[in-house]
Amino acid sequence: MELFEWIRLIVGGIFILCGLVVFFTELFGVFRFRYVLNRMHAAAMGDTLGISCCLIGLIIFSGINFTSLKLLLIVIFLWFASPVSSHVLARLEVATNENLSSECSVYEDLETLQADMAADEHDADGKGGAL
Amino acid sequence: MFTAIYHYLYLTVLIILAAMLFVCLLRAVKGPRVADRLVAVNMMGTIVMVMIGILALMLNEGYLVDVSLVYAMISFLAVVILSKVYIGIYEENRHKADASGPEEKGGMSDGTV
Repeated sequence: MELFEWIRLIVGGIFILCGLVVFFTELFGVFRFRYVLNRMHAAAMGDTLGISCCLIGLIIFSGINFTSLKLLLIVIFLWFASPVSSHVLARLEVATNENLSSECSVYEDLETLQADMAADEHDADGKGGAL
Repeated sequence: MFTAIYHYLYLTVLIILAAMLFVCLLRAVKGPRVADRLVAVNMMGTIVMVMIGILALMLNEGYLVDVSLVYAMISFLAVVILSKVYIGIYEENRHKADASGPEEKGGMSDGTV
């Protein structure tokens, strides 16, 4: 029984440590990247992976009861909510930025993007044939 | 012995998370654009959720997890509603800026580039 308690402590501690590392990576990415649409990648990682690692560690500590069920419910809710909020934030940034094209490449519609991609592919093929 | 180990483990994790929370707040104050601040507020909400979950196990009070669940829902709602409100304010200001144009619904079509 003593051994079982030790195993639970170590496994849960490893999960919580993984969650802390993910949170630290998130913070580092948010301060390292230069623009909001890049920072959003790092921020969304902590919302899903970081909190799920931390709360899985807490579930292992807590055992099987209603508290761990509610913790699992938080994780599942955030898996649904975090992509939606990231999408809405990206729409906010794109809709309110006057000079977005200085930060990233902007295509007016889908046909322009497809034509550009096809031209790139054709260019790469041409280079390959010349070599 | 295990209670002491768990207590100090929870305390260490809480202190680290509190330090991270202050760094997030720094990003929210510094962020040059509105979306920067909203991303930072979203991160702060996530970290606070983990802190409430740890407190629930540390104090042996199961109902604190309910508080964390409600916090998750309200944090999500706050981000969505603030984004919608800022988009609406921006469109309104732009319509007010070029009020000479007779068309009123022209903003939405080029807002989704």
